[in-house]
Amino acid sequence: MKAIPYILAALVIIFLGSVYIVDETEQAIVLQFGEPQSGIKKAGLHFKRPFFLQNVVKMDKRILDLNAEPRELIAADQKRLIVDAFAKFRITNPLKFYQTVRNEFGIRTRLNSILDSRLREVLGSVPLSTLLTGERSDIMRQIKDNVNKETEGFGIDVVDVRIMRADLPEENSKAIFKRMQTEREREAKEFRAQGAEEAQRITSRAERDRTILLAEAEKKAQILRGEGDAEATNIFAEAFGKDPEFFNFYRSMQAYRMTLKKENTSMILSPESDFLHLFSEPEKRQ
Amino acid sequence: MPWEENGKGKGPWGSSPEQPGNKRPDFDELLKDWINKLNGFFGGSKKNKQNNNRFILLGAFVVLIFWMANGIYIVDPEEQGVVLRFGKHVRNTMPGLNYHLPSPIEKVYKVPVTTINRVEVGIRSSSNLRGTSSREAKITEESLMLTGDENIVDIDFEVQWKVRNPENFLFEVRDPSDTVKSVAESAMREVIGRTPIADALTEGRSAIEFETKEIVQSILDSYNAGIEVVLLQMREVQPPTAVIDAFRDVQSARADRDRARNEAEAYRNDIIPRARGESEKIIQGAEAYKQKTVADAQGQASRFVSVYDQYRKAKDVTRKRIYLETMEEILGGMDKVIIDSRGSGTGVVPYLPLPQLNSGKKQ
Repeated sequence: MKAIPYILAALVIIFLGSVYIVDETEQAIVLQFGEPQSGIKKAGLHFKRPFFLQNVVKMDKRILDLNAEPRELIAADQKRLIVDAFAKFRITNPLKFYQTVRNEFGIRTRLNSILDSRLREVLGSVPLSTLLTGERSDIMRQIKDNVNKETEGFGIDVVDVRIMRADLPEENSKAIFKRMQTEREREAKEFRAQGAEEAQRITSRAERDRTILLAEAEKKAQILRGEGDAEATNIFAEAFGKDPEFFNFYRSMQAYRMTLKKENTSMILSPESDFLHLFSEPEKRQ
Repeated sequence: MPWEENGKGKGPWGSSPEQPGNKRPDFDELLKDWINKLNGFFGGSKKNKQNNNRFILLGAFVVLIFWMANGIYIVDPEEQGVVLRFGKHVRNTMPGLNYHLPSPIEKVYKVPVTTINRVEVGIRSSSNLRGTSSREAKITEESLMLTGDENIVDIDFEVQWKVRNPENFLFEVRDPSDTVKSVAESAMREVIGRTPIADALTEGRSAIEFETKEIVQSILDSYNAGIEVVLLQMREVQPPTAVIDAFRDVQSARADRDRARNEAEAYRNDIIPRARGESEKIIQGAEAYKQKTVADAQGQASRFVSVYDQYRKAKDVTRKRIYLETMEEILGGMDKVIIDSRGSGTGVVPYLPLPQLNSGKKQ
């Protein structure tokens, strides 16, 4: 009877040594004396042989991130590029994973170099201009597929490879800045010149319109005047034609009256003139 | 082997959490028994044994209560609880007071699901403690991007996201918030990389925002990240500082162009109506002349006709009368010199000092 507590205590300890919990973010495999046993343990409570007989290796089940450092590479058109990418991967076969790379650190080194070489390979086969089109996502998919082919054996699945930055090195950037600047200057000059052009066009068109308006008015005016003169002439001719001789006399009288003003005319008369003929020789008349 | 497979709701310790009254007595008895045995083993005196037993039982009970109470937790209004039993996801809990089986049987993650998280790319803003002013630091490695026409543009943007599915958010992706950032940056560069700079700087903005947001969301969905992108908004899109002056000059050149045009139009609007007015004036003047001339002619003509009608009645007399009347009028106030030229026979001409006559007139 006295042994019962011992037995109980021993059972508890053995129990604690053989139970383990796998979290929802994890997956686990069981090793027996370092040798992986088949079967992947998912989230939940599990049992194994106690203590050193079997031990458990847990690894992440979530999508993991691999950030590749920016690197310089050469595109197909010999343009140098600074490329910065990341890969997202997931451990799909923990057993294989454990056997080949053992842990996350191991896969990171491998994946990094694979990603690097695939980036160089794929980006080296296309010109930079292709990267600056809708084909960029196809290129990324191609890199992902190529990477996946090589990492199959590591028990991982590369979910995604994405290029973050694909920039030109600094010296090229400077050249681009210079080009952008000159382009803008060209544009600015063009705008200003267009302004001048348009202003000239509007102004001269307006001046032309003004000249035409005035000339048209002048033309119309002359026509009107001519019409007036013609009508007047007609009226005169009609009236005066009745007796041209009398008109001559009558109109002359009128003209004398209008032209010979006392302010600007002096008259030297001969007594023999028609007007004075009575004045000089009255006797003759009688 | 997971306990769940043995029967739903059955705990690993043989006690069912849903029916605590059922099995606890057994457990207590067992404990009591065990303590008795333990006391017996240590050989406590028969007298104290009873007291000790009671004491230990009470202690054990208090410990048990505390242990059970450790499963009480509060989910804040903006959160959702995700409960794991032995690491396996079993249920989600809503805001309020909640209970989970005490550790290590169950544990809870609380995920803020209504909170909007912000990720900034290209800039880091840090507010001071009172939040009244904020400083912004530019991160040019993030904000300078190559555009589709191989120009460089400087873009800062912000992504706002929230958790759509707490389980996925917790269990599918490690570092979800960093993931949002790098995915957003990559997507923005992808979109900018096929957009000409002029579009990015002007009317293309909202299209870029929309397209980028779609890409970010679809990538996150492909990761099954349980994240919803609420808003993706470009804050500042401008040419790089090295060339910004040139870009500004283009703006002012454009304004100059408009100004020149407006000035010319103003000039046109000034002279054309005036010219119209002037031409109207000329035409009206001519019309007036015409009317006047005609009227004049009519007047003169009818005057002549009237006189002529009278003249016909007595031609000689009338003619003489008119002649004399005219002479009378003309010569009436005029300087007159009458020279009798009969003697000399040379007429009046030799006597005429014409200039003098004229000057005499002027005085």
